[in-house]
Amino acid sequence: MKSYIAFTTKEFTEQLRTHKALIMFTVFLLFGIMNPVTAKLTPIILEMFMPEGVEITLGDPTALDSWAQFFKNIPQMGIFVLAIVFNGLMANEFTKGTLINILTKGLSRSTVILSKFSMAILLWTASYILCFAVSYGYTIYFWSNDIVYNLLFAVFVLWLFGVLIISLLLFGGVLFKNSYGSLLLTGTTVVIMFLINIVPILQKYNPVLLSSSNMDLLTGKMQPSDFTASIIVTTALTMTFIVVAIPIFNKKRI
Amino acid sequence: MTDLSQLIEYLPFLIPIFALELILAITALVHVLKHPTYKFGNKAFWVVIVLFIQIIGPVVYFIFGKGNE
Repeated sequence: MKSYIAFTTKEFTEQLRTHKALIMFTVFLLFGIMNPVTAKLTPIILEMFMPEGVEITLGDPTALDSWAQFFKNIPQMGIFVLAIVFNGLMANEFTKGTLINILTKGLSRSTVILSKFSMAILLWTASYILCFAVSYGYTIYFWSNDIVYNLLFAVFVLWLFGVLIISLLLFGGVLFKNSYGSLLLTGTTVVIMFLINIVPILQKYNPVLLSSSNMDLLTGKMQPSDFTASIIVTTALTMTFIVVAIPIFNKKRI
Repeated sequence: MTDLSQLIEYLPFLIPIFALELILAITALVHVLKHPTYKFGNKAFWVVIVLFIQIIGPVVYFIFGKGNE
C-alpha cells in the first residue's frame, strides 16, 4: 500500500512536470466555455453571413443546444485529447527504460499498472468535472435548465466511457510496448465497437451507447434503465483489460 | 444593436477564453526558450507554432515537440 501511494504520487508529479496535467485542464476548461458559446452564437453568426434576402428560421437556442454541443465535443475532441495525452503512459517507461531501477528495488509490477490507472482516472475525472461545471454555469446563466432530464446520469455514462478508453490505452501500452501500438489498439477497438453498433440487437450492450445516446437521455427519449446492459459490459471490459494487463506485464522484458 | 455593445455582452466568454489561450502560449513559449532540444524542428519554428497557432500549437509542442532530457 505504501509503495502504491508513493508511486501514484510520483505519477502525478510526472504529469505536472511534463505539462500533461496543464494540457488536460486548459483544453477541457476551454471545451467547457466553448459549448454554451457555440450554442449561443451559432444563430447570430448564421444571420451575419447570410446573403441579403435569404430568410432562414432558427429557433432561439435553448439549454438543450448547449448540452448537445457538450455531448458532441467531449466524445469526439475530448476523448481524442485524452488518448493523445495518455498514449505514452506505459510505452514511455519501456522506451526510456525508467522502470528498471524501481522494479529491481522490489516494486511489484501490478502496483505500476494500478498506480498508472488510478492516476489517469483521477486526472480525467478532475478535468471532466471542471469542463462540466463550467458548461453548467454558463448554461444556467443564459437559459433555464428545466427542460433537461437525467443530466447527471448522462454525464456519468460519458465519464465511464472515458475510463474504458484509459484502460484500453494502458492495455495497448503493455501489449505492444510503444505508444503507436497503444493508440492503434484503442482506435481499432473503438472502430469495431462502432461496427458492432450496426446490428440493432447488440446496440444496447455496446459501450458506444454511453458516448452517443446522451442527448436521448436529456430529451427523455431514453431512460437510465436502457443503459444498464451497456454500463455492465463497459465496467466488465474495463476490469478485464486491467486484470489481463497485469500478467502480460509480468512476462514482458523491461 | 451596435458592435460595441454586442462585444461587451460576450465579454464573460471572451475574457476566460483569451486568458486560457494566453496561459498555454506563455507556458509553452517559456519552455521552448529554456529547453533548446526538440524531437524535430528548431527554436524559431517552435516559437512561431506556439505563439501563432492557438491552443493546438502549445498542445502539439508539449506532446510531440518537446525533447527528452
